Amino acid sequence: MNEIVPNTPPSAPDDEYAPVVGISKEDTATLRMLEGKAADKTARDYEHIVWAYGVLWALFAAYGLFLWRRSARLRADMNDLQRALDKR
Amino acid sequence: MTSPTPPAAGFRLSHVLPDLCLFAAMPLLVYSVHRVFMSTPIEQSMGTAFKIFFFHVPMGWLCMLMALISGVAAAVQLRRRSSGAAAVALAAAEIGFVTGLGVLLTGPIWGHATWGKPWTGDARQVSTALLWLVIVAYLLLRHYGPRSSDRLAAALAIFGAVNVPIIYYAVKLWKTLHPSTGVVGSLPPEMWATFWPGLAGLLLVSLGLLGLRIRQLRLADELDAAWVQLEDPPR
Repeated sequence: MNEIVPNTPPSAPDDEYAPVVGISKEDTATLRMLEGKAADKTARDYEHIVWAYGVLWALFAAYGLFLWRRSARLRADMNDLQRALDKR
Repeated sequence: MTSPTPPAAGFRLSHVLPDLCLFAAMPLLVYSVHRVFMSTPIEQSMGTAFKIFFFHVPMGWLCMLMALISGVAAAVQLRRRSSGAAAVALAAAEIGFVTGLGVLLTGPIWGHATWGKPWTGDARQVSTALLWLVIVAYLLLRHYGPRSSDRLAAALAIFGAVNVPIIYYAVKLWKTLHPSTGVVGSLPPEMWATFWPGLAGLLLVSLGLLGLRIRQLRLADELDAAWVQLEDPPR
């Protein structure tokens, strides 16, 4: 979007009134509406990003938990085997 | 009469390598997340949602890599009846399941943010979903099928590996919403500097988990053999 700059008012003689020229009320309202839309989109995008990253970490954490439980089961099996060997 | 020997223990590089991979991945992932949120400029057309790219694409690549590893290992298993290859195929398929699910979930989240629709029936989406379903079928057969279904499962894994080039070239073969295969190579330097730590970190995590799971499966096989020998010793 092009940068909006206030027009530079022409210089007036000392004894004459020079009107103040700047961004119109309509332009200000439009700018604020556009900025609001951009902020809403960024907030929605960040929500999507948090969901996407959360899903990834949850998946890897779930698989890590699965590996940990399998390891515990294998350790229990090894202990059983050791006990069976010790009995012989 | 000889007693069955428990599985061999002792230091081996193969025992330590998976842990090293996971250990090395941690700082890379932390750095990658920091770069994604603090140092990467916002992409012009897709806005902030583009930041999902830095993890979505590596997950897709890792899913395809694991499917290839699983397919090759399954082929070796079929050819040589190798239990080691069977363990590699199963472990790679499990990692492929995780990464495939990751790419199939993050893709629609990104699609909803960018295109307004989570699923568009795009060729790459559909072929990736097909690969993931083949991986699921393979895992179900391996975990719950009878012993005689191992060869059928191996054939499924090979079929999944054949799907990988179709996924990769889907953007060239059909009209899709996904960008071309050269998009990663054309990233500007500041985005490339964010992409590769995430890719390297996720690759190391995947390889570390793969190594751990292969070790578990080999140990389970050895324990089974030890129990059989204990309960039915050879004469």
